[in-house]
Amino acid sequence: MGNRVAIVGIGQTFHKSNRKDVTLQEMVGEAVRAALLDAQMKTQDVEAVFTANMETFENIFLPDAMMADETAAFMKPGLKVATGGTAGASVVEEGFHFVASGLFDTALVIGFEKQDCGDTTAAITGAVTPVWGKGVATGAIGEFAKQALTYMQKTGAKEEHAAMVRLKADKGACRNPYAHLRLGLKSIKEVLDSGYLVWPLKFLEFCPQSSGACALIFASEQKARKITRKPVWIADLVTVHQEPFRAGSFGDPTGKEEYSQDIAVDRLYKRNGITNPIRDICMAEIYEPSNWEEMSHYEHYHFCPRNEGWKMVEKGMTEMEGEFPVNPSGGVIATNPIGATPTIRVAEAALQVRGDAGEHQVTRDVHTAMATALGGPNWTVATLLRRSL
Amino acid sequence: MTTEKAEKKPELIKVDIARPRTYKWSSGKYLGRVYKEALENKKLVANRCPKCKELIWQPAAVCGRCNVEAGEDWVVMSDKGTVVQYTYLVFPLWDPHYGDRLANPYPTATIKLDDDGVFLVHFLEERDPEKLKNVKRVQAVWKEEGRGRGLGDILYFRTIDE
Amino acid sequence: MAEIMQDRVEKLKDLDVFVYHGKIFIPNTYTAGLTGSRFLIELRDNKRIMATRCQACEQVYVPARSVCKYCYGQLTEWVPVSDVGTVETYTVDGHSNGVQPMDPPIIYGIIKLDGATTGLVHMISGVDFEKLAIGMRVKAVFAEKRVGSILDIKYFAPLA
Repeated sequence: MGNRVAIVGIGQTFHKSNRKDVTLQEMVGEAVRAALLDAQMKTQDVEAVFTANMETFENIFLPDAMMADETAAFMKPGLKVATGGTAGASVVEEGFHFVASGLFDTALVIGFEKQDCGDTTAAITGAVTPVWGKGVATGAIGEFAKQALTYMQKTGAKEEHAAMVRLKADKGACRNPYAHLRLGLKSIKEVLDSGYLVWPLKFLEFCPQSSGACALIFASEQKARKITRKPVWIADLVTVHQEPFRAGSFGDPTGKEEYSQDIAVDRLYKRNGITNPIRDICMAEIYEPSNWEEMSHYEHYHFCPRNEGWKMVEKGMTEMEGEFPVNPSGGVIATNPIGATPTIRVAEAALQVRGDAGEHQVTRDVHTAMATALGGPNWTVATLLRRSL
Repeated sequence: MTTEKAEKKPELIKVDIARPRTYKWSSGKYLGRVYKEALENKKLVANRCPKCKELIWQPAAVCGRCNVEAGEDWVVMSDKGTVVQYTYLVFPLWDPHYGDRLANPYPTATIKLDDDGVFLVHFLEERDPEKLKNVKRVQAVWKEEGRGRGLGDILYFRTIDE
Repeated sequence: MAEIMQDRVEKLKDLDVFVYHGKIFIPNTYTAGLTGSRFLIELRDNKRIMATRCQACEQVYVPARSVCKYCYGQLTEWVPVSDVGTVETYTVDGHSNGVQPMDPPIIYGIIKLDGATTGLVHMISGVDFEKLAIGMRVKAVFAEKRVGSILDIKYFAPLA
């Protein structure tokens, strides 16, 4: 199964819509410095450097080379990862594998995106599939809207349930100094009254375009115990790819598709002796593409039976003080620098395990946490973190 | 008399680069066939996997699920179908495909094509939200001129009484 | 904002293959950051080339940057460098690619300005190709209209 690997350093920038004050490299450097400080390590202690983003936003060729000075990658090995929405988690996988192989003792892993560099809609619709998608792609928005409708029709969920999820996310974000959108929403009514953007999705139900970076430092067991008293162990990581377009774009109308989310967690749970996810795992930071999707993801990740995700929300089970907290950091709907987002999920889950999440630390004691990532064509990366192995 | 301390914010420079990049994409044999059928015959086609017997959408050389060569078992699909799900823009969105401001005003829908056809994502002609609730059966309206854009050769799907 | 894709479909004889001519147009904005902005503003307003210095590593960076490549230190010390330097190497580009700041043929050079420890990539002009040589001394020629861009230096010309 490989050698043991722990997260020993966590750093992220304060995510904003526009970082006019820094270049792309400097922004990444902020997260790197924060992670090094957290680990009390020097750049010389890092053996390999991995970067990840979704390149069509910044349109920069070889971003990893361009930021070698700010990531202290000069003369070091490493990789650039570009797997779209899951890039930030695939880069966690790379660092994890390098150290688990026993060939490296430490690795620095960075997810980043400076979305103020480009136009998100243009980047997604223009560069997804030039020959085929031209003229018919509506970006992610149309698909989320249809998914929401299907969910309501299939499960009996109401707009109020989605609004509750939105409110939960904002509560968490307001207690997370790094989050981007911290709106101070007071009621479900506020969400419902915000007006429709793409029916039935409301204005407040869209994630922002954020600029930010998140860095993690991994170490082998031997090194980790010397670096920190609170290593967070990467118990396991599963990636499942799905063919683009096959998956019926979020909310499969064929009824025949297998969802990569189900397959990924089935493998993860089986390999790690998890039989009752909400009992065996203490909390989750999931990649929810929309607040509506969060409810259906509860079902895909087996937190609840099929078609009952909205019931978990109604009972408040996934609130910070609830039985099984989900996304106390505010989630993707509060902060979404696309390349960094999956890394942030792992970072936030790790902070919970360490007990270092400050004001957004959940009530329940967290000895095991799960972080997930989702990519455009319905890929999933699921990571399991533990306080002790 | 108070002296105001002028808090001068440092000037920050931005460089704007807005240059279209030209590309040439080969559609390949399979996608190319779709383009050709749409252009010449106003027909939608797909190839069938020899193993799982499912229609491959979008047509490709390999069936991804079975990991076998898909082959050339081409099927002409019906361009009539049933709406499975739809959505519409309430607030105009900037859409880079259609120019400056408004995105395509027609609602997007997932349509199940007849005769065991595939699920197609395309536009509906009907724009009234009230009438949209009752749209079930639709048929493609092809462009008479200026075809050659694959699925873009269909303008939208029109409601039919059936 | 122009439309994102103009396309033209070209059918190849005997093959059901289309070569799709398209365009991708994603407008981008790049921020120079505090350090970069100050460097560019000095070019624009004072026709002066400023560098950042790392005393520990004995490095003077042009264009100015915020981090030292060797020690990862954050650079805050600004020093002026000369607008005269030595050509470390050069090449002549005769090919037009639609994105060049001048019409080809263009001479690109790496110029080490007096006082700097890094080379600066820029254009060289006002010299016959036969007279180009590694080691030749050149001086910055500033543009009349400057906007806060690396092209506020129009090119480098041989020291008379």
